[in-house]
Amino acid sequence: MTRKQRRLTLIASAGAVLAVAAGLILFALNDQIVFFQSPTDIAAKTVPEGSRIRLGGLVEDGTVVKGDHGEVRFSVTDTEASVPVIYIGLLPDLFREGQGVVAEGVMKPDGVFHADKVLAKHDENYMPKEVAEALKDKGVWQGDKKAN
Amino acid sequence: MMAMTVEFGHYALVLALVLSLVQSCLPIYGALKGDRRLMAVAGPVSGMLFLLVGLSFAALTSAYLSSDFSVQNVYENSHSLKPLIYKITGVWGNHEGSMLLWVLILVFFAALVSAFGRSIPDTLRAASLGVQGWVSAAFLLFILATSNPFLRLQPAPAEGQDLNPILQDIGLAIHPPLLYLGYVGFSITFSFAVAALILGRIDAAWARWVRPWALLAWLFLTLGIAMGSYWAYYELGWGGWWFWDPVENASFMPWLAGTALLHSALVMEKRNALKVWTILLAILTFSLSLLGTFLVRSGVLTSVHAFATDPARGVFILAILCVFIGGSLTLYAWRAPMLKQGGLFAPVSREGALVLNNLLLTAACAAVFVGTLYPLALEAIANEKISVGPPFFNLTFGPLMIPLLIAVPFGPYLSWKRGDLLAVAQRLWAAFGIAIIAMLAAAWLSGAERILAAPAVGLAVWVIAGSISEILSRARFRDVGIGTGISRLAGLPRSAWGTALGHMGLGITALGIVVTSAFEVEAIRSVQPEDRFELSGYEVVFRGVAPRRGANFTEDVAHFDIYSGGAKVTELEPTKRLYTARQMPTTESAIATFGFSQLYISIGEVREDGGVDLRAYHKPLITLIWLGTLVMAAGGAVSLSDRRLRVGAPKRARQQPSPAE
Amino acid sequence: MIIWIVFAILTAFAALSILVPMARARAGDGERASHDAEVYRAQLGEIDKDLERGLIDEESAQAARTEIARRLIAAAKPPEGGEKGRPGSGLPLRLAQLAAIVFVPLAAIGLYLELGAPNLPDQPLAERLAARPTQQDLPLLIARVEKHLSDNPQDGQGWDVLAPVYMRMGRTSDAAAAYRNAIRILGPTVDRQSNLGEALTMANQGIVSADARAAFERAVEIDERAIKPRFFLALALGQEGKNDEAAAAWKSILDEAQGNEPWVPAALAELEKVGGEPPQRFARSGPSAGDVAAASQMSEADRAQMIEGMVAGLEERLRSEGGDAEEWVRLIRAYTVLGRQDKAMETFELAAASFEDDPAALDKLKAARQALETDPDEGGEEPTQSN
Repeated sequence: MTRKQRRLTLIASAGAVLAVAAGLILFALNDQIVFFQSPTDIAAKTVPEGSRIRLGGLVEDGTVVKGDHGEVRFSVTDTEASVPVIYIGLLPDLFREGQGVVAEGVMKPDGVFHADKVLAKHDENYMPKEVAEALKDKGVWQGDKKAN
Repeated sequence: MMAMTVEFGHYALVLALVLSLVQSCLPIYGALKGDRRLMAVAGPVSGMLFLLVGLSFAALTSAYLSSDFSVQNVYENSHSLKPLIYKITGVWGNHEGSMLLWVLILVFFAALVSAFGRSIPDTLRAASLGVQGWVSAAFLLFILATSNPFLRLQPAPAEGQDLNPILQDIGLAIHPPLLYLGYVGFSITFSFAVAALILGRIDAAWARWVRPWALLAWLFLTLGIAMGSYWAYYELGWGGWWFWDPVENASFMPWLAGTALLHSALVMEKRNALKVWTILLAILTFSLSLLGTFLVRSGVLTSVHAFATDPARGVFILAILCVFIGGSLTLYAWRAPMLKQGGLFAPVSREGALVLNNLLLTAACAAVFVGTLYPLALEAIANEKISVGPPFFNLTFGPLMIPLLIAVPFGPYLSWKRGDLLAVAQRLWAAFGIAIIAMLAAAWLSGAERILAAPAVGLAVWVIAGSISEILSRARFRDVGIGTGISRLAGLPRSAWGTALGHMGLGITALGIVVTSAFEVEAIRSVQPEDRFELSGYEVVFRGVAPRRGANFTEDVAHFDIYSGGAKVTELEPTKRLYTARQMPTTESAIATFGFSQLYISIGEVREDGGVDLRAYHKPLITLIWLGTLVMAAGGAVSLSDRRLRVGAPKRARQQPSPAE
Repeated sequence: MIIWIVFAILTAFAALSILVPMARARAGDGERASHDAEVYRAQLGEIDKDLERGLIDEESAQAARTEIARRLIAAAKPPEGGEKGRPGSGLPLRLAQLAAIVFVPLAAIGLYLELGAPNLPDQPLAERLAARPTQQDLPLLIARVEKHLSDNPQDGQGWDVLAPVYMRMGRTSDAAAAYRNAIRILGPTVDRQSNLGEALTMANQGIVSADARAAFERAVEIDERAIKPRFFLALALGQEGKNDEAAAAWKSILDEAQGNEPWVPAALAELEKVGGEPPQRFARSGPSAGDVAAASQMSEADRAQMIEGMVAGLEERLRSEGGDAEEWVRLIRAYTVLGRQDKAMETFELAAASFEDDPAALDKLKAARQALETDPDEGGEEPTQSN
């Protein structure tokens, strides 16, 4: 092969790999991302049923009910709307009533959010970022006052 | 006399900034003008910078050890009751201290270059150390302007604020320094690359010097990432070992680019080709390290790792990022066409295989890059909050790894300059056979349900078997007999062993990932004392919960007996811990290792009737994931210890294939 | 002074690290070609070694030798352009020396003076704790108690003493933890349980959480007539939106009130907020529900300001229009609660003057003043903070 042919082969194969990679990325971006929603968004029915979302808010006081085999029911609220959640598994250490939480899962037709992942704050100074912002929008949560 | 350690450390840091400005100017000016006296400054000043930042770091450490709460940083991030070891690790367990560690490692590498770089041409060494001086100056300025760890409080508070038990873990303590050694290690290859662009030429020594430094940084980064992954696995109690979390990706992107750099530097070193591409990769790798630092430090991603929520810091790091990445890429666009291109090679050749490796690794890196930054960009531009999770990465990163893994065993067999694919395939038949057997065995074990796991297992075994067969064939057992073969094996260059070990480690990690993902068994249930359940052939018996007191915590210990084939094999004691002073609960999972597989139990809250909710996993071959990374790192270390001047003997056209180094 | 000498020595070393190598280096350059050639020659030797060990065959070795020889010849050519070594010309060298002698010390000292605190010595905790007690401030005393408790975590009295101190300092989470420890070791009492609940509520930004409610309920179990836990339980009902139940709870608490308890205005406001009618004898009193709701959204400083504003408003009205004894008493109490003893006394004297010929009113005023004298801290225990 001549020098030119070699270079062309190289460029063509590089182009092919990059095209495949770009295709995969675009396809996955269309299909595999998860939107963050607040209970108000869900109440407004802007979320298509069955699509995967992240639900963030506060664990509503007095709603946590533990069933058998790790089943937990609770409600997530942003003080304007409230969404019932069912989750099977172990809750994070800092999952508490009245505290910030992010649940990932699917909204089912029965109006219950089926979560397969529940994240609480990692330590006492941390509130999940999306939750903090959503609550700030609603004027419920008043910022990082836990400076101490 | 009053002790003034803290102020001494503060002054040393200020002096280091001033000196790094000198370092940024004199040697480079000297290198450009050919003035040896100005160039000569580079080495001693590098040493002095290391000394100054080292003193500064020591002063901060001493403030932590003596619980000097007149230092704001100590007050905010320490506590007099912390165990000694965590007072020490607390120095870098916060934003300011960790940035100081970052700079300490930066000047440490510069000092290493000036100490071991005697054989580098003076101009190249002076210019590289000058570029390193720019990076040091930028980060020292960042520390002093926005993240000064030496700010004082008067009057001093009586007690520090941090006793967060989650952060009191030895794994978490070792993880950042390792990671930083990796991140910052790539600053050396960056400085070499920028120096070459500034000087407008690539010396022969340049090619020799880049690979060992890239290898060293890669080694630390590999260990750092593996360590972080294992920490998350045993400490977070979720049983996962990789979450595609942005913070993890921030360290994984430089690793991918650095691995590509390692391989392209090989081509450059041995064959004098791919020079310009290698320079670009060196720039990109360190840029990704800077990006990782930005993502973690700026508070853009709020998580355990984000200590900084001060926007001034984020903007400052972003500015550093733009100046260095933008500047170096502009310089590259301007100067790279002036550099001489290197040697020729056929598409099917060792060089060609390494180019394929580079293509796939950079494409995979790009996929991770998009997945990590797309949510941030979308939030900044459209105010839309999304999360890109494992499904995205599995769909993009996974497919790109398949051709890479298929190609890995071929690479080392191919001759330099022009190779013979058919001949190589003939010599890989044994490895291919073993892979097929492994695939069939996996298919038989997994049944129809998880049939996709079988080819994946076969692929991983293919990589392992390929690397073993390559090293054996180098010894030519068949031609020379076993005795000579073994002595030939011992006499092989260490870099050959390094390659084989590196590839084998990759295969081992891949095998661990595939098997544990496909064949993991999970059980979530509530149990009462004396309940028993079956998990992957083990019988787990819950014996009840008992309270226990620790040094600064109380815990509820759930006791499990594990039986296999009717005989008790081990006991597991996962606990729910409560740190009394802070009333802070944590979960401590319990892990039992059988061979390469693990049984993992973590418990939820203890019920009033003495029962517990639990989550139990059987994770087959999971330890291979981390063992593989250790083998990879060992390969890097062996290769690094090879001090030969590496030459790749080219293959002449139209000849029978024969092994060539 | 010594610190400056140390700084000077350090700076001198830094300057020397620039000056010494410049003085010692020879001028000139031109070493690159020989460097490259050296590398290539070493590579040639390496090929011979590989051949000896049988790692490559003769043909490959020959090919490699040819390639490297070609590079060697290229390297031996003189470099293009005028990049010949020049002796270091005078000016840059002078500037560099100037930088070392003038710029480095001046910039470093200048910057340090801007950032540093050269008068502050180290203050290791051990030394400070060993200092004479008279020099100690409250936080240091707390630190000492904390240290004691970490060594003797079973000392319930210690936790009991520490908890209210934490509470006053606003360290509500720590206070809750301390109350929990005290309860665990010494057993529950009405006070401990209700204080725990209060601490949890404060820590939760005024929302009565499930934990806090449990604490209050336990307190009521011990003494069903205790006001404080019932107050917070009523508050919790209101926060949950169970307005009717909340109103009933508030009424039952108010029924037991004498009328001048410090928590009465807050209770009335909360009652109004949940839509309940205040009992007859409390009609027209206190801030509106809207004001209280606003207060609960405010920061600590804003709230204090609002409360002071309300108190000032009340005083102005009483001074200009006069009022009944109840209102004067409320003003005195308000100042007591705010810790303004002087104002409280002043108000008392003013009121006493205007009620000179009303013995019943005078008695009430005097009772209020007595409370002020005997128990200036009464405000610390009143549950008026509705959040």
